[in-house]
Amino acid sequence: MIKYTNYLTTTYGQPEGWKLPAYEKLCHGYDTARKVLTTMTREAVVDEAKKANLRGRGGAGFPMGVKWSFMRPHPTKPAYLVVNADEGEPGTHKDRTIMEKNPHSVVEGCLIACYGIGAHVAYIYVRDELHLAKRRLEEAIAEARARGFVGKTPFGSSYPVEVYVHTGAGAYICGEETSMLNSLEGKRGEPRLKPPFPAQAGSFGCPTTVNNLETIAAVPTMFNLGCDAFSKMSALHDMKDGGVRLFGVNGHVKKPQIIELAVGVTIREMIYDIGGGVLGDKDVLAVIPGGSSTPILRPQETVHAPDEKNPMHPWHGKSVFDVPLGVDTMRGVGTMLGTCCVTVMAEGTDPVLAFQNLMQFYKHESCGQCTPCREGSGWLDRTLKKILAGKASMKELDDLSDIASNIMGNTICAFGEGTAMPAMGFLQKFRPELEAYVRGEKKGKDARLTVSFEASEQAAE
Amino acid sequence: MPTFKLDDKTIPFEPGDTIIQAAHKQGIEIPHYCWHPGLSIAANCRMCLVEILPAKDQRPLTLDILEWDPVAKDYRAVKKPKLQPACQFAATENMEVLSDLSDHVKKARAAVQEFLLLNHPVDCPICDQAGECKLQDYWLEHQKTQKRMLDEPVHKPKAVSFGPTIVYDAERCVMCTRCIRFFDEVAHDPVLDMRERGNLNEIFVAPGRQLDNKYTYMADWVCPVGALTTKDFRFKARVWFLRSVKSVCQGCATGCNTYLDYDSRFNRTYRYRPRENEAVNKYWMCDDGMVSYKAAHEDRVLEPRVEGKTSSLGVALEAAKKKLDGVPRDSIAIVYSAQHSLEDNWALRELGKTLIETDRAFWSGAPDGYEDKILIHKDKNPNTAGVKQLVESAKPFSALVEGLASGAIKHVIALGGATPSTKEEADAAATALGKAETINTNPTHHGALTQAAAIVLPASSWAEASGTYVNFKGIRQQSDKAIESQGSSKPAWQQIGLLARALGYEASWTKLRDIRTRLSGLGEGNAPVHTTITDPHSTEAP
Ligand SMILES: Cc1cc2nc3c(=O)[nH]c(=O)nc-3n(C[C@H](O)[C@H](O)[C@H](O)COP(=O)(O)O)c2cc1C
Ligand code: SF4
Ligand code: SF4
Ligand code: FES
Repeated sequence: MIKYTNYLTTTYGQPEGWKLPAYEKLCHGYDTARKVLTTMTREAVVDEAKKANLRGRGGAGFPMGVKWSFMRPHPTKPAYLVVNADEGEPGTHKDRTIMEKNPHSVVEGCLIACYGIGAHVAYIYVRDELHLAKRRLEEAIAEARARGFVGKTPFGSSYPVEVYVHTGAGAYICGEETSMLNSLEGKRGEPRLKPPFPAQAGSFGCPTTVNNLETIAAVPTMFNLGCDAFSKMSALHDMKDGGVRLFGVNGHVKKPQIIELAVGVTIREMIYDIGGGVLGDKDVLAVIPGGSSTPILRPQETVHAPDEKNPMHPWHGKSVFDVPLGVDTMRGVGTMLGTCCVTVMAEGTDPVLAFQNLMQFYKHESCGQCTPCREGSGWLDRTLKKILAGKASMKELDDLSDIASNIMGNTICAFGEGTAMPAMGFLQKFRPELEAYVRGEKKGKDARLTVSFEASEQAAE
Repeated sequence: MPTFKLDDKTIPFEPGDTIIQAAHKQGIEIPHYCWHPGLSIAANCRMCLVEILPAKDQRPLTLDILEWDPVAKDYRAVKKPKLQPACQFAATENMEVLSDLSDHVKKARAAVQEFLLLNHPVDCPICDQAGECKLQDYWLEHQKTQKRMLDEPVHKPKAVSFGPTIVYDAERCVMCTRCIRFFDEVAHDPVLDMRERGNLNEIFVAPGRQLDNKYTYMADWVCPVGALTTKDFRFKARVWFLRSVKSVCQGCATGCNTYLDYDSRFNRTYRYRPRENEAVNKYWMCDDGMVSYKAAHEDRVLEPRVEGKTSSLGVALEAAKKKLDGVPRDSIAIVYSAQHSLEDNWALRELGKTLIETDRAFWSGAPDGYEDKILIHKDKNPNTAGVKQLVESAKPFSALVEGLASGAIKHVIALGGATPSTKEEADAAATALGKAETINTNPTHHGALTQAAAIVLPASSWAEASGTYVNFKGIRQQSDKAIESQGSSKPAWQQIGLLARALGYEASWTKLRDIRTRLSGLGEGNAPVHTTITDPHSTEAP
């Protein structure tokens, strides 16, 4: 069910929508933070936040309020908020739009979040390539500081908050939260061992909350509407997956875009209503629901949940494309919601080339710290290249599932699963296509990731 | 002590111990590359994965994986338990851990092995690590399959000089980061790091720096594979031809425990390997110590000498008798050596105190030198504390120089070849020693005392004779004989026995055992005889 909302995206497309005047006019600019910092206690903020049922927007879908509640005041150490704007997941570019078009929501979100978790400093870790995003954030912070919102006494309160932008160096792995903390500290961007978790020992060894940028940007809206009301806008409120969020659709659709909707939209709606349908009105070959790490879904797959107690039972027998996009619903169909940015592949796309393309990405981005990921990602990519080149044996194809299974769960960070799970998805769902290459029935040079369509259809927008 | 179960064994542990640590203390090895008992935890190799059975009220953590069924020609979705690294996972009371008994663990180990060897050059025939390499050992224990990836492996830099002592081979490196951590955490010289990403990773030396500090040899010993080797040992020997004895480094008063590796076919020492001893050197040794295995063959005194001329033992003993017969006993000084074992010094004490009955006792040794806060002691003698225990009245060497200068002392019966004189003092010492009518010494090596001696009876070095040494902490440690005595050298305690007899005394000792039984009471209470504390796998590096 599509429910259009316009909280975070009100300023999108407005003249100078990224500046403070627009934010004040359109988004109750900083009134929410003022109210929170001057009238609420820290504990009340966290309790209220829990009611929003906001599932982290960074990919893992961890409940944000619960994460905030892990923060315990430390006798000697300060606490930090670190905002994850590394956005490197292929197929995902939602955070970038917020930074470019509504940066003040991030700054205001930082104020409230810092107050809630007991931090006085927020670092926003931005992927290096996003130059406009960094500039807009810096400008927004400067505007907010000039007005006294950010600084020693925000809104006249005695709760100082500073917000800094920190630039990454363009490594996907630095989006993994502990890797990001290392990078923030000037170290090599390698994930840390857990425990300790960031809430125990995060940046500079101090208690830290890491949240995705969209998670933080949603905070003013949440508190403005009331967190319970915010949650209830979602069709999956009962599954504790609340609120509104940015949905993305990209790939072979007529209208790729980022749009704000209440949680509850299905993949089919994303393709046809939001995305305007498949390019050239072709059939859908498959969909990657939320960034490259989430296993691929095919239109012919259906939900199997005959047991009434199964939370997926309401969709029993239905196509997976008709299941609302949610953290637990996507888990229920064997994939993940991830970043909620749907990548659509039209019929005609070569799934083997797509598979190899993804594995090349993982091979290139593995930090190389732990053995199974370092070597396994390279091995997967190498074998797929051989398959495409018609040089692989059936035995080598058979081995692929074993390589992926040997990575799965055996690594330091979730990058390993992020590689193995999509690999297993492609294997399970595109075995005949892979075999066709091994048998020489298909040739790598003919493989395409783009699909051809009539120019007139492109202009359908 | 709380316990947990590892396979079918009950393992006690101290709160805070990881699974691998607790097992290690019991002498049980869980396969590992990156874990080292003396370094921080990296948990990157994933070789130590174990299965932890869920507690009664806990749901097992499982993962979905895929298996290809060649008969059904389809994939089968299966579940496996989430394994945990034993090097990182803390032991808890009554926890049940499966290691060798879990098929999932076996599969994970084989997989890690296969991954590690995927791009490995398998140049074992020209690798110095061959025969003591974890990759080889674990292949045999945990993998035993042929390579599935038959394409050209990833190539990386080979034979990169990291500094004056160490060579790096990136293709053999398993990226365990032990070397990085060692130089950071133990040597306090963080010059190594990792660069690149994914399977192009390599270890490198900080730009503008070299791997050049007092602990570079440890790079070879923390590295579980043949990626870091010493220029000294490179291409010198195949390790399976080498034999080892438990030895004690003679370089300073720390007395680091070590294995002395030698080839009996050539009667040569080849290298030292640090030997674990929590109370002394932990797992480490310094570079000066590591190269001092060479001392068995360098600068040695191997033939008896009389008045500077090489002679036979009989002639030398005869000369000693002639010179010392009938001289007043208080004109004879006995000079003990902090460079010699308790046994050697005991024999000298027997001769000096009991037989000749002179009270003039002094001690000698090498001069002080460099020290640090890690291992290196400024006292460059292995047995200063032992000599002090044995002959409390022994006076410093400067007192001997005075005695000789004043003419009160005319004859010297000494052990060792070195004097503790600094360069400035050396001339005064030489003049004084030159005044002596007789100097008789049993040195292993050349030195000021050897130079000045009229009669030289060559002594076996520590490599050629078993001996006991007391380090600066008062810990008594035994060092075993490796090679056979070279030239005409004999253990000094034996030479002294011969000298005693030549001088007409009845020496009560003929065997090392005679001395050891009489030494056993010495320093008891505060000086335990103490070769190794934890040494579960006698010759294996951690
Ligand atoms: C390999 C990898 C890459 C990741 N990249 C990002 C990223 O670019 N942005 C992000 O917000 N989270 C990313 N994450 C998830 C973060 O680790 C973390 O869960 C998230 O930032 C927490 O924020 P949230 O709770 O608000 O979702 C990544 C995780 C992994 C394992
Ligand atoms: S799983 Fe991959 S990315 Fe994560 S720590 Fe290991 S090597 Fe690095
Ligand atoms: S050189 Fe040796 S110790 Fe260093 S990372 Fe490589 S394998 Fe480990
Ligand atoms: S020994 Fe545990 S991961 Fe390397």
